[in-house]
Amino acid sequence: MGLSFVWYLREFVRAEWIKKFLFARTAPLVSPSYFRGFPEPTGKTCQHALFCMMACPAPGAIEVVHAGDGWIPKIHKGHCIRCGLCVEACPNEVLTSGRILETMEREGTSLLFSFRIAIDKDLCTGCGNCCTACPVNKQADAQMGAGGHSSNDEVIMRVQEGDIMVIHEDKCTGCKTCETSCPNGAIRIARILEGYQQPVQEGIQ
Amino acid sequence: MNILQRIKNAVRSRSIHVAYVDVGSCNGCDIEVLACLAPRYDIEQYGIYVHNNPREADVLLVIGAYTPGWEEKLAMVWEKIPAPKAAITIGNCPISGCLFDRKGSFVDPPVKKHIPIAAEVPGCPPRPTEILQAILSVRDTVFANWEEEHP
Repeated sequence: MGLSFVWYLREFVRAEWIKKFLFARTAPLVSPSYFRGFPEPTGKTCQHALFCMMACPAPGAIEVVHAGDGWIPKIHKGHCIRCGLCVEACPNEVLTSGRILETMEREGTSLLFSFRIAIDKDLCTGCGNCCTACPVNKQADAQMGAGGHSSNDEVIMRVQEGDIMVIHEDKCTGCKTCETSCPNGAIRIARILEGYQQPVQEGIQ
Repeated sequence: MNILQRIKNAVRSRSIHVAYVDVGSCNGCDIEVLACLAPRYDIEQYGIYVHNNPREADVLLVIGAYTPGWEEKLAMVWEKIPAPKAAITIGNCPISGCLFDRKGSFVDPPVKKHIPIAAEVPGCPPRPTEILQAILSVRDTVFANWEEEHP
């Protein structure tokens, strides 16, 4: 028994053991590549659809800012919660985070925005402010005057006989400029975010 | 650098005592701090020990969006820590209030307004590795050569 005790003590004075005891570390901790970090640019051109800002659940986390002659999404750390919705909502794959983009491609998933225009006829006075403020209307009919009248059929909405009329709801980009310009709060834009899945099968598209 | 300072640096770099205080969070970041203590991330291998007593601590981890109940109290906790000391905020809440800083809420972020902060770890919640890196970076920048820089 005395001998085993000595063997036991001898174990603690071995140089290798002492070195291990004092300097043992686990492997350096690195985040695996598939961890979702803060979204980073992929290098593709931002088309200024602003879907990232619309999909973002955290206030003030993402902003699309001017960079040179283009646009670039800017992530604010301290606001961003790394949910990855901006990565999924972007139609041009400008941002990437973890393996969200690969997963979306493999599973055939996408997030699509659509916009509905709701006008309260009781509140609307037919002033036409929304029609003249709308940037899409400005593209379609640069001649549109203060009353919101237009003879162009390509505009989103126009005033006809003192009444607002929505023609092309599908052209709406969801910027909500009309909402802020309406003096009566009569127009409301609903941003609808839908998730789609189209399974990609072997050989069949 | 004299020999005494060298010894102090060597000892301090292997013995950081941490106290954490939750000033109104959702407990997500508390769980991540807890994960730091668990064997997978194991902060004690870096010589970081958790004592929830500010008088024994070197580093104060502040978690949460600063609710009104913590006015004056957080500064009191901070003053109790003996120098050299550093405060680190964990998560989005102490930086921006994030999801809690809405209209009608009483939280008062950032925590930076109330006590001096040495490092901020963004994320909701941040990963244990990020918390660990922040503590280790504070150790190297704040505590090294303390006596020579503050005679």
